[in-house]
Amino acid sequence: MFYLIMCRSLTHAQRIANGLERAGIPARILRSPVEISPSGCSHSVRIPAQSLSRTLTVLNRMRLPYLGIYVSAAGYGYREVEP
Amino acid sequence: MIYLDSAATTFQKPPTVVRAMNEAMDTMTSPGRGDYGPSARASQTLLTLREEAAALFHVGDPERVVLTTSATHGLNIAIRTLVRPGSTVLLTGLEHNAVTRPLAAIPGVRLRTIRTPLFRPDLFLAELDRQLDQGADVMICTHVSNVFGYILPVKEIAARCREREIPLIVDASQSAGLLPIDLEGWGAEFVAMPGHKGLYGPQGTGLLLCRATGEPILEGGTGSESRRQEMPEFLPDRLEAGTHNVPGAAGLLAGLRFVRRKRSDVLLHHEVHLKDLAAEGLAKEPGVQVFRSRAHQSGVLSFRMLGKDPGQVGDWLSQRGVALRAGLHCAPAAHETAGTLETGTLRLSFSAFNTPKEVERFLRIMARLR
Repeated sequence: MFYLIMCRSLTHAQRIANGLERAGIPARILRSPVEISPSGCSHSVRIPAQSLSRTLTVLNRMRLPYLGIYVSAAGYGYREVEP
Repeated sequence: MIYLDSAATTFQKPPTVVRAMNEAMDTMTSPGRGDYGPSARASQTLLTLREEAAALFHVGDPERVVLTTSATHGLNIAIRTLVRPGSTVLLTGLEHNAVTRPLAAIPGVRLRTIRTPLFRPDLFLAELDRQLDQGADVMICTHVSNVFGYILPVKEIAARCREREIPLIVDASQSAGLLPIDLEGWGAEFVAMPGHKGLYGPQGTGLLLCRATGEPILEGGTGSESRRQEMPEFLPDRLEAGTHNVPGAAGLLAGLRFVRRKRSDVLLHHEVHLKDLAAEGLAKEPGVQVFRSRAHQSGVLSFRMLGKDPGQVGDWLSQRGVALRAGLHCAPAAHETAGTLETGTLRLSFSAFNTPKEVERFLRIMARLR
């Protein structure tokens, strides 16, 4: 299981990923899966499941907006989660 | 060659700029177009450039640093965002064609030009107050004249525009890398600058610092919101259609770091010192008119020789290994202000790589023209 932070732009995704990495949270930028990206190409930041709580703290501190957070579990696709 | 045309392009670049561009050619593709290493490295280079430029030029959000192909490109975006058909635009009498031609292309724009003597910011500000009180939709101001090196009091101009809520566009073509630039402090809507002059990057690069979101003048792929047929609403994507000039951005980042390492105030002091040496030497030559100021001039110096065509003098100097620029310098408005429109001038401009010895050699060559 992992979480995706969906971002409005690549630049945003990079800033979020860099901020999380600086805080010691492994973060990887990837293209958003089609099912959560209705308007076409976008980028998301993937984080491990156990890092969600710390990630939210860092995002809050960075004051960087994001479009949504999605959880992925094997066989269940993506589901938006309420932070 | 004695290269004295850095107001056009700084010719000698720091070796780090060339290395960064070579490395980008070898290791980077397009940002945002794939998840693989070379694309990610390109993306990171662009983000780092935005972040370091934002820090240097006081832009609150790195996403508001838009990569352009030149200052002209940035000025076109800024002008087409803020100026509408029928708008009244207030200008300095020193603007480059990069400002005046885009304005001329918009129907019915009313231009009011502030023409006051060179190197008299006090007179400029007094006239500016009078003009601003008459109202305007936009004010456009060069930071430093590309012909005369006249440093405009941008901080004071910006304060006056803020007081009257008149949006301001600043052309920082001749000041970026040398004078403080403060987008947020000034409250300017846009500041446009080239990468290939005082920032020591390659030609084909530039930055547009944005407080306003900006209207695209080029539409196309951005790697984002691809199903929509409108450009994204957010920066920088909204103003950056098409594949980025990644080697150029890598070179510009290295140039920016060179400027930060050397310090803008030190670079400016060096160029002004060389300009003063040249001005003093030229002023001793009979029949030479030098446009100079000790207090309000950067390292850009114009002069003309009475009775001699600047173009022919420029050719003569070129044959003797001196590279400078003669003519109107794409700024007829500035020549109109200075009364040099009919003849044009010869322009010297310096960079970090010029030396006092080069100025002495130039003056010795000039003495042969007597």
